Amino acid sequence: MSEQIREQVSAFLDGELPNSETELLLKRLTRDEELRESFARYALIGEAVRGASISLRTKGFAGRVNVAIDGGTVPADTHPLKARAPHWWRPFAGAAVAAGVAAVAVVALQQRAVSPALRPVTAQNAVLAQGAVAVPTPVENLSYTVPPTTAAVPAVMPPARLTKYMFAHSRYSSALDQRGLVADMLIEADEQQPAVGEAAAHTSP
Amino acid sequence: MTGIARNRSHWLMPCAVVGALFWAAPRLSLAADDPREWLQKMNQALATRNYDGTFFHLSEGRVETMRIVHRVRAGRVTERLQSLDGSGREFVRNNDELTCYLPDQRTVLVQPRPEHGPFLGSLPQFGADVNEFYRIEALPATHILGRPARVIAVNPKDQFRFGYRLWLDEKSAMPLKTQLCDSHGQVIEQIFFARLDMPESIPDSDLAPVVHTDGMRWVRQGPSHDSAPAAVSGYRASELPPGFHLTVEGAQTIGEASVPASHLVYSDGLATVSVFVEAPPDAAPGTDASVAPAEPPMQGLARVGSGYAFSTVVQGHQVTAVGEVPAQTVEFIAHSVKLSGGAGLPRR
Repeated sequence: MSEQIREQVSAFLDGELPNSETELLLKRLTRDEELRESFARYALIGEAVRGASISLRTKGFAGRVNVAIDGGTVPADTHPLKARAPHWWRPFAGAAVAAGVAAVAVVALQQRAVSPALRPVTAQNAVLAQGAVAVPTPVENLSYTVPPTTAAVPAVMPPARLTKYMFAHSRYSSALDQRGLVADMLIEADEQQPAVGEAAAHTSP
Repeated sequence: MTGIARNRSHWLMPCAVVGALFWAAPRLSLAADDPREWLQKMNQALATRNYDGTFFHLSEGRVETMRIVHRVRAGRVTERLQSLDGSGREFVRNNDELTCYLPDQRTVLVQPRPEHGPFLGSLPQFGADVNEFYRIEALPATHILGRPARVIAVNPKDQFRFGYRLWLDEKSAMPLKTQLCDSHGQVIEQIFFARLDMPESIPDSDLAPVVHTDGMRWVRQGPSHDSAPAAVSGYRASELPPGFHLTVEGAQTIGEASVPASHLVYSDGLATVSVFVEAPPDAAPGTDASVAPAEPPMQGLARVGSGYAFSTVVQGHQVTAVGEVPAQTVEFIAHSVKLSGGAGLPRR
């Protein structure tokens, strides 16, 4: 990525890129996968520099970084706008932050390796199992227990089948959630993902 | 009226207006800065404005570029969402149905809109009950896309729901950037616009999908008519996370299933969780295995975008809870589903 494009991405994320240049950046992003990955990393770093905490669970580098942050201690009430760094400073800050979180990632991944992904839990220890700090709830009744029937079984949920549930659910999600939900449905499926059903083909609308 | 009286009224009038303004100014200012007012304005903008924009969707370490076109014309709402750099998938909805084009799977999913069902997602209501579970606050204003923007945080008070940070255009109240956050303020998903136009009119061509559907399979799923009730009924979540309650109950065909599942929707006013209860294939009346082979039972937890799905088997029935909520919420609800004699809601 050239210095000019890096500057453009940085300025865009700071809300300082002129509209005409935003259009150009947008066009580049739609056809350049490498640039999109860089963009995602910049956004991640940008939020970290601003003091907001980030959780991006995924495969790959960004996911490992996320796992690190996810397992770390983060202030609960971070301000997304404070400590805004000028964008000329961000590449340097970004490198430092990336190095830092990558180092933490190794530790966090090692810690996670010994924890079962799924296990029988009560609602309260489910919260604690994710490394979260317990937050008092506004309602008193939390003394239930989730029956330990299936949680130890690894998830076997074909993504295509999940898409059907998401699609059915999308009508009822709130307007705040719906855009993200639909966007998630539009994201390209993994290569190993089976097709939506194999039977009862209808080839007309 | 005498000349003096008329003259007095001439200078009294401006004084009265100025006085009224001074009296009203603090109240107006208060209303203008009230984050709830801004959230209601956002609701109004989302429901009534035409817009055409391109946004970035950042989730799970990936960024996708998407275009959204939303038109309100003569009471009819049409919306199209298109992936610009990924799968070529598209999502179109109008007053009659929702359609999801999946060219990578050579499939089109179609779901009719129920006669009295909600449209385009229920607009979140920020009433007193929401106060109990979310803390809503205004953060310092900023600029985004070169426009002044209000920043509103909706913070969950516990770990059973996610929160939001919203950057609202000062002029239109449209959300220019949104972040979905967990109870620690960690950002799970971001959407931010690179371009947002609000034209007076939008041509039909901008709402037509570009996907070529020749040879694609059309799978119709959705709410069933009264003549085809769910194969299972009477199942409910016996316990719920604080604030969640049953809002919708009905029958829903999932994919190519031959019999509808029971569909329960639970909400705390902002977050929603759908629960699908499906009968085992051999128990469902009218099941013909030659038409739709049974899918194997699912068990466990899965990520679905920014939310989660949790599946389990209860008394031989497949129970799946899906929602944009933390994992423990879907797990909690799915595990508590059992056959209940209690009254539900009127059918959709």
